[in-house]
Amino acid sequence: MNTDVMEELSRQHWLHDLLSSVEVGIVVLDRDFNVEVWNQFMENHSNLRPSQIVGGTLFQHFPEIEPDWLMLKAEPVFNLKSPVFMIWEQRPYLFKFGCNRPITSELDVMYQNVTLFPLSSLSGKVERMCMLVYDVTDQASSRLNIEGLNDQLTEMSRVDGLTQLYNRRYWQERFQSLYRLAKRRDSANTAIMLDIDHFKAVNDNYGHQAGDKVIQTLAKIIKKQTRETDLAGRYGGEEFAIILSDAGGEGAMQVAERIRKAAEATEVTHDGQTIQFTVSLGLAEFSAAFHNEMQWLDIADQALYEAKESGRNQAILRSK
Amino acid sequence: MSRTNVLICDDSAFARKQMARAIPDGWDVLLHFAKDGQEALDMIRAGKGDVMFLDLNMPVMDGYATMEVIRREDLPCLVITVSGDVQPEARTRMLAMGALDFIRKPIDNQKLITLLKQYGIYTGDARSEQRKKQTTLAGSSDSEKLDAYRELVNVAMGRAGENLARQLGEFIDLPIPNVNIIENNELHMAFAEVNRNDSVSAVSKGFVSAGINGEALVIFNDTDFENIITLLNYDQLSAAPAQLEALMDISNILIGACLNALSDQLNVTFSHSSPIILGRNRELESMLANTKQRWNRIMAVEIGYGIKQRGIHFELLLLFPDTSMERIYSRLVDIED
Repeated sequence: MNTDVMEELSRQHWLHDLLSSVEVGIVVLDRDFNVEVWNQFMENHSNLRPSQIVGGTLFQHFPEIEPDWLMLKAEPVFNLKSPVFMIWEQRPYLFKFGCNRPITSELDVMYQNVTLFPLSSLSGKVERMCMLVYDVTDQASSRLNIEGLNDQLTEMSRVDGLTQLYNRRYWQERFQSLYRLAKRRDSANTAIMLDIDHFKAVNDNYGHQAGDKVIQTLAKIIKKQTRETDLAGRYGGEEFAIILSDAGGEGAMQVAERIRKAAEATEVTHDGQTIQFTVSLGLAEFSAAFHNEMQWLDIADQALYEAKESGRNQAILRSK
Repeated sequence: MSRTNVLICDDSAFARKQMARAIPDGWDVLLHFAKDGQEALDMIRAGKGDVMFLDLNMPVMDGYATMEVIRREDLPCLVITVSGDVQPEARTRMLAMGALDFIRKPIDNQKLITLLKQYGIYTGDARSEQRKKQTTLAGSSDSEKLDAYRELVNVAMGRAGENLARQLGEFIDLPIPNVNIIENNELHMAFAEVNRNDSVSAVSKGFVSAGINGEALVIFNDTDFENIITLLNYDQLSAAPAQLEALMDISNILIGACLNALSDQLNVTFSHSSPIILGRNRELESMLANTKQRWNRIMAVEIGYGIKQRGIHFELLLLFPDTSMERIYSRLVDIED
């Protein structure tokens, strides 16, 4: 054989090697999505040899690909000679392949970014397209982790560390939208402001840690006596605010009484000492006549003041 | 035979020069220039426009309005539209009003000669060496450069609009692109049309070739999504996936066509990165908050596409760092000279 042919053969050989070794899926498809090239990456991950798939349609082997969807996406490649990019956020994968690290990977499947681009023939017409399949599992996994972390951070910024109830800032935010909703629907809602009676004395007699324990205990009682749909938050040091949705004054008074009685009956132990405490509560029914949400809360606050003035350990309701 | 008065009407000085340089040396003409339709009409009435090469998108008075006046007053002027906007509807509108033909920008000597021959306006030698010598493209002032960039983008914008129109079957309203040189720490200045507090979703893609790199962003106002989703028939999907599909579909077409047109004009082949979702349903400023200050200056091109009858509006933003700007300019000028 002459050396030119040898050289060309050798070149073909290493070009073929190159196409096989690259860690990217390479598929060439004609206009009817018949497979013309199926590289090693695709072979390895699909367990389909080129001889099994080349010449046939792509769709017969991959039920997870919706033909109509892919054809629609590929339209600009043929019509406009424009590349098309699909990212894992749209669909995690095009081909359902296992992930690269079967044991330690956090995700079950290979997440993929897919690029489609036109291949022009000699006449300049687009007769086929190339599909590149990139493994982006690790990128997706760290992104999903960060999003999970962000969700946690968001939760942290909303919740009061000591009581695990909403903090004042977030409570107020939710209260505002709840108020707007109530205004629109004119539904029965009642606000409760409550605080611990003689809390300063608890702190002075037993120390701040004991005080914290009392606050925590009360928070638990509140959580137990309210529903998921109610909005409960730590409003100040020993002050709590609750909005009971779909509850008129009468129903709300029952909840308030349950909280008051539970607090009265609860004993908190700290350093071998037993601490008892009581709470006072002020209730205000929602009225469509309110100008803003703070007016509603003010009335609950006035009721709380009245409860304190009238001897504490009691609940007072202001009806609309 | 008396000399033909040729009027070149385009708001871009760079485009006017490109046009002048394409005119064959053998064609005995007197060249006149106008930078909007109003100026052009005055010149035609003064007998300076036997033949006019007319751009479409211009301030003061655009090509459509100019053509309308020419038709109404039956002015003696042969109009050839030269535009970056080559949507079928633009073409039909202009031809219906009496324009002779419609050429796609950027104009070159070859295209022009074919057309002139076809209509028997000029059939002589095609060369335009003298004209090229007379009109050099290279200018040194910032405003000349800015004008060249604007024209480059104009053509790219038109191509992207055309592709989108074909794919969606709708007429796309093309604006005059807003080209700004900004300091890096003022990236928000690039967005004249996106309100600070609007909730938006954005996709970004990088591209690079021959030392020219840049980024293309497509930005959707969240309030427009519903109309886009209806247009694309993604109603059956739930809201979040439908928004993402719409965002990706539109940006694939817009960015793809735009970069193809830039490649053609600069004679480079860009590598594109996979697109990245910059953020969804957030304020634009918060998405750009982590941007690092790497460049002194950035060229920002804001293109606000619209589909008026559907109530849809979206932005294409092209960003080039200062190093790329110089290379783009020298390529633009070199290719021609």
